[in-house]
This record gives sequence, structure tokens and C-alpha cells, in this order.
Amino acid sequence: MIGFIIRRLASTVIVMAIVAVFIFLLLHLSPGDPAAIIVGDNATAEQIDAVRKRLGLDDPLPVQFVRWIGGVSRGDLGVSIFSHEPVTKLIGQRVEPTVSLALTTLLLAVTIAVTFGVLAAWQAGTWIDRLVMVLSVVSFSVPVFVVGYLLIYVFSIQLRWLPVQGYTPISEGLVAWARHLVLPSIALGLAYVALIARITRTTMLDVLAEDYMRTARAKGVATAPMLLKHGLKNAGVPIVTVIGIGVALLIGGVVITETVFNIPGIGRLVVDAIQQRDYPIIQGVTLLFSGVYVLVNLLVDLTYTLIDPRIRY
Amino acid sequence: MRTTRRAFVKGSVAAAATLSAPATLRAQSAPTKARTVRAVMHGDLKVFDPIWTTANMTGNHGLLIYDTLFGLDEKRQVQPQMVEKWGVSDDKLTYTFTLRDGLKFHDGQAVTSADCVASIRRWAARDGAAQHMFARVKDTPVKDAKTFQIVLKERYGLVLQALGKLETNLPVMMRKKDAETDPNQQVTNKIGSGPFKFNDGETRSGQRYVYDRNADYVARKEAASGFSGGKIAKVDRVIIENMADEQTAVAALKAGEIDFYEVPPIDLLDQLEGDKSIHLEVLNKGGNVGMCRLNWLHPPFDNVHARQAMLHLIKQEDILKAVFGNPKYFRGCPSLFGCTGLMQSDANTDWFKGGQNIAKAKELFKKAGYDGRPVTILQATNISFMNNAALLVAQWLKEAGVNAQLAASDWGAVVTRRAVKKPPAEGGWNIFITWGSGEGFDNPIGFVAHTANGEKGWFGWPKDDMHEKLRDQWAMAATVDERKAIARKLQDNAWNYVPMALLGQWAPPVAMRSTLKGFIPVPAHVPFWNVEKT
Repeated sequence: MIGFIIRRLASTVIVMAIVAVFIFLLLHLSPGDPAAIIVGDNATAEQIDAVRKRLGLDDPLPVQFVRWIGGVSRGDLGVSIFSHEPVTKLIGQRVEPTVSLALTTLLLAVTIAVTFGVLAAWQAGTWIDRLVMVLSVVSFSVPVFVVGYLLIYVFSIQLRWLPVQGYTPISEGLVAWARHLVLPSIALGLAYVALIARITRTTMLDVLAEDYMRTARAKGVATAPMLLKHGLKNAGVPIVTVIGIGVALLIGGVVITETVFNIPGIGRLVVDAIQQRDYPIIQGVTLLFSGVYVLVNLLVDLTYTLIDPRIRY
Repeated sequence: MRTTRRAFVKGSVAAAATLSAPATLRAQSAPTKARTVRAVMHGDLKVFDPIWTTANMTGNHGLLIYDTLFGLDEKRQVQPQMVEKWGVSDDKLTYTFTLRDGLKFHDGQAVTSADCVASIRRWAARDGAAQHMFARVKDTPVKDAKTFQIVLKERYGLVLQALGKLETNLPVMMRKKDAETDPNQQVTNKIGSGPFKFNDGETRSGQRYVYDRNADYVARKEAASGFSGGKIAKVDRVIIENMADEQTAVAALKAGEIDFYEVPPIDLLDQLEGDKSIHLEVLNKGGNVGMCRLNWLHPPFDNVHARQAMLHLIKQEDILKAVFGNPKYFRGCPSLFGCTGLMQSDANTDWFKGGQNIAKAKELFKKAGYDGRPVTILQATNISFMNNAALLVAQWLKEAGVNAQLAASDWGAVVTRRAVKKPPAEGGWNIFITWGSGEGFDNPIGFVAHTANGEKGWFGWPKDDMHEKLRDQWAMAATVDERKAIARKLQDNAWNYVPMALLGQWAPPVAMRSTLKGFIPVPAHVPFWNVEKT
């Protein structure tokens, strides 16, 4: 097991190195010039050239890459071209909102989705099953931003129950923190509820048809322990896999949700950076995301061993 | 240990109190909501040096924390601002300025002549109008702590106008040590002597920028007017929120989470007009003027007939209607200087009065020897005006028999490609769409798009010696009437050689909560002095 974890962590470095080369080339070979954006629309070509030179953007690409990757190897992701602040500091400022949003969304989605999925499988063919399936199709089909605007209209503008936008750090009060996360978490979580609920239902239907489930029923095991202890645990591996994939998809969803609800997270940071061609930020955040992907996959693999003792690494 | 219900409740209350304590303490130290203005502007604040960049977001930041020597009032007359008194020698070559008493930077240091001279010199290294003036400046001697001079080699009519200009790059006064930063590098300090102080502690880059009232600021006694008069901060705090999504910003305004929205989307104005708690007002009467920049370096627009064809081809109203909808916010405009400023005229505008004439445009392209080669239009799809204008211009060009090809990208890519001087087939271009402020257009010297000095000038690189000569004459003129007469000649000449084609003028409203009042209408910027919250 330890050897497996070490091998996987080592592979993280390789994956991130490949991502680093890819994102660097992608950014520097695609059109766009931060120097032209930074000096403003009315700047002359000479002023743009002067800024480009000062930023080192006129150096050959290999020189720029070695300079950047050298910094990265020392833990220095560089400095924002626009704000002149270290990228690590900017990411650090934005981690809390994004992690808060991702965790509350996951918690909400997994809790609701697994419950609905198990319920639908148990009541397969009834109106409960059909209702859950219809709701999951709708949830999966409506884009995050549409759900977001609808929630804002109903709960923030009409009812005035919750704020339209923004984020309050948890250090400034639990209630204010939670109030700002309710609507974004619902908007972002609906698609995952649908995804996880459907896979839970499908897997549970297979498990419920197994001989050991019939035996459990024949032995008089109560419904709840039968579904959760015997059924859900055996259906766990595919569900955990989908949750893992969901975390990857979540990163894309976070970008949109943070924009709609004006949450100052990493998603907003990278969208703004892309529009302005702030290369160090884009490169830094992409590296971070790739690392998170690899680690989440590792966690998913390790979780399999907890759910199914037959799986060994 | 057994947990009783009472112990659980006590523990919960204590935990809640502990968790909410930071928020309570914070609320006690921050200005009240009634003394705070939350505003969403047209973009994010990325650069903090208003001398260094032409970005209007930075201009807004500059107006909050810095002050200027002079300011144009609402009638565009120059008025002293940081200057107490000024005079000019009989030969009109030496201007002497004396600073007001009580001027202090936010770090407590007094504003001195040395600070002002260093700031003016920094501005002269960055700004087009300043460079035009400084080509005639011999020296800028400091006479004492409060007195300095600008000594000219030859007479120049725009010294005070330049020092009080409304458009970026703004001639703000910085500390000497900041102003002496290499002009190619931004000043990153945010210490000025203006009516608000930058609050670094509360600011979150990319999220919100916080400005607190400067209690030490000594305002002028005169009433606020344009960029002049008493710059009195009537609220304790101004927070500039960076909100990327327009729909969210409108919802936040309706819910009272923000007080001011500089650029509400045009398609939601009807919705806002129906809300009694929201007030719409056009603050920037000059608004913006759209322009179609033509690349003079390559066919077909290296030929005057092809450029003249563009005047007959474009129907400004169609573009404006497609983007802004309601005609009360836009107008067709044939004047080279925009249609709201002092320099506007109807000289040589028969092409406009005749309306769109595709057949005439076709004839002129033929006369230009157009050979069917592709004409590349840079289309910034992420900016609605640029996107729609590019689509319509391409359609009209096709109707006139031109092989128009749209090169779609975002604005970030357009600003890179427009600097490429190679032929369109090698990564260059023929047409790109942009705009300038109405105030900028009104100034033949200060506005970079008015240059016609070839490849040394702005993108499109028009060249016309008569135009440049007239610009110099305009700057030398002693009175507004003289300048108007020269502007008329400039326009008359321009619509013969056609430096660019115009796409109309628009002035959309800002949206604010009805509890807000006192905004001063100025072009391109939004000053927050004089603003009250009731």
C-alpha cells in the first residue's frame, strides 16, 4: 500500500511537469499580449514594446520557460503581470472561497443524491422512482448559470432571504459564511445530485437483485440496515468513482458559479487572468488544478480498499 | 461525562458567539452602510498608476486618491485646483504656479513644488498631449517649496488645459520619489493627496478596492464643478467591487447590495427603469465615439478612394441600434471631433447627409483598383459593440463587392494583432473596430487616434502632413474661437483623406440606488467626491 501511494505521488510530479510544458506552450503560442492590455487602448506601439521588454516577454520562449520552471521548482509561481503580487499569495487569498464552495456542494450533492438514488432503487417502478429520475434529468440538463439566476431571482430579489452575491470568510461568522454559500452550492450541486443519484440507483438495482440481499430479507433484516449496510456498501465502488469524476467536473462548474455569484475564488482568478493574458496566474492555477486532479484520483483509489476489502494494491 | 440538553444549548450559544465575534468587531470598526458607497464599475482595477496607463479604471482610482494642479469645470474652463495662484510673463513664455496651503500627502508629508515638477515630468514622458507641450518646454525650475515654473521655448496655448485635462493619462500629483520611478514602470504605491485614501488592508486584489475619506484633505471653497471646485468626500468609504457578471450586478443593485453600477447592460435598462428604488442618469454626456480604423499600410485602404468608400458604406444608426437599442442613448455623428464637444462642426460632411450609399462605395472601391483580395476585419467577439459593428461592416463590404473576412477572437487577441504591420495574409489586418471617449475625440492633440504621422502614430498609421500642421496650429492658438476655426479646417481636410471612419456616438446611463445623489457629470470618469447617501 505504502509503495503504491509513493508511486502515485511520484507520478503526480510527472503529470504536473507535462501539464507545465503544455500550458506554457499553449499560452505563449496563442494570440494575445499582456503588454498591449496593460498599457491601455490608446497606447502607442513603442509604449507596448517597452512594457513587453520590461516583462521579459520579448525573450525567446525557451528562455522564458526555463526562467518560469526554475521558479516553480523552488516553489515560486512568479508574480502577476498586472497586480505585481506573488501568484502564490493570490491563490492563497482565493483558496478558502473555492474550497468552501466545493466542499459544501459535494456534501450537499452526495447526501441528497445517495438518499434519492437508494430510494429510487428500493421503490423501482413506482412514482417515487419516476419522480427522482425526472428531477435528475432536469437537474442534469439545465446549465449552472440558468439555475443560478433563477435562484437569485426567487430567493434574493423576490423573497430577500439570501444575498445575491459575494462571499464572507468563515472567520467573520459562521452564519454569514453559510448564507453566502447556500444558493451557489445548490446551483452547482444540482448536476452532481443528478449524476450521483442515477449511478446510485443503477448500481443499487443490481445489488438488490443479488442472492445475499434476498437472503438478508428472508432472515428478517430491517429495511434500513438492509439497504445501507448490505446494499449501499456493496454498491459503493462505482458511486465513489463517479464522485471522484464529479470532483474533476466540479472545478469547471466552480468557475461559472463563482462568476454568477461573484465569489472571489480561484475560478474567478483564472477567468480574469485568461482575459488579460496574465500568464503567471494561468500557469500557476493550472498546475494547482492538475495536482488536485491527481490527488483526488489517488484518494478515490484508496477509498476502494475501505469499501471492498478484496481490493489490494 | 454525560451531556445534558442544558449543557448542549449553553455550548452552542457560546460557540455561535465565538464564531460571530470577529464579524461583530469588524462591524464596529467599519463605517456604517449609510456612510459607505459600494460601486461596480466597467472593469477591474489592474494598474494603480494613472499617469502610466490610459485605462479609465485607473483614472477613477487616480481621481479618488490624487489631486491635480488644475481642473476643467463643467463648461470646460480651466480652474486652479491644487494651485492657489498662477501667472504668465508678458512674453507668454514663463508660467509661475504657487501651491495652496495645507496640501498633504496621505503619509503626512506636505506637497511641495519638487513633487509637482517630478509628477509633471513623469506625465510628460507618458501622455501624448504632454509630449506635444514638452517639445516646447525649456525648463521647469523649482523656485521655493510652494512655487515652481514652466518655462517655454516658444508660445504654447494649451499649458493650463493640458494640466487640467479630463482624459487619461491624468496629470495627477505624486510624491517626488514615486514620480521619479522609470516612466516605463508603473508606480505601485497608492499614496496621493486627494480626498480619499487607499485602504490596503481591506482591499482584495481582483475582488474589491477600498477607499476611506481623507480627513486631512483641504477642499477648495468653490462648489464642485467638473474636475474643479471643492472635492468634498461626503461618505466615509467607497468600495469598488469587481463584479464580472452583468446580470449579477443588476440583481445586486436591485437587492441593495451595491449602490452604483457604471455600465448596466442596455437590454436590462427597461427592467431598471421600472424599479422605483433605482435611478438612471447619463453622467458622461459626451459618452463614446465608435471608430473603424483602416490600415493605411496595405491595399485596399492604402488608397484614398477605398477609404472614402467607407464613409459612404457605413450606416451608423444601424450599428448603434443593434448594440444600444434605445435611440435616446445614441446618435449618428459625422464630426471628426464627436458631436458633443466644443470642436464639433459640419465641415465637409455631405457624405453623411447623403446617407448610406452602397453603390457609391462600390464605385469608389473600383476606382481604388480593388482586386478582390480578402479584407480582414478583426472581430472582438467578447465586446458587443465591436462584435456587432464588425458583423455589419463585413456585410456592407460584401454588398459593395468586397471580399470581407472576419477574424474572430477576443479583445485580448485583437490588441496584439492590430500592432502587426505585416500584410493581412501574414497575420496583419485591414480593419479593426474600437472607440474613444467623446471628450478625447474633442481634443486634436490629446487623443492618440487623431495623429496622422504615419508609422510613428497609432494603429492604422494614417499619414497626412496638412493634418499634422493644423494640429500644431490648434495647439498654438490663443483662444477657443481660434481653436474652433482650426478644428473646422482639420475636419474639412480629414474627410478628404479619411484617417478613419466613424461609427456614431453613444452615452448610456449609469444606474444607482435612489438613496445616492451628488454625482458630478464628467466625461469618461466617475468622481466620488460630492456623493451623498441619504
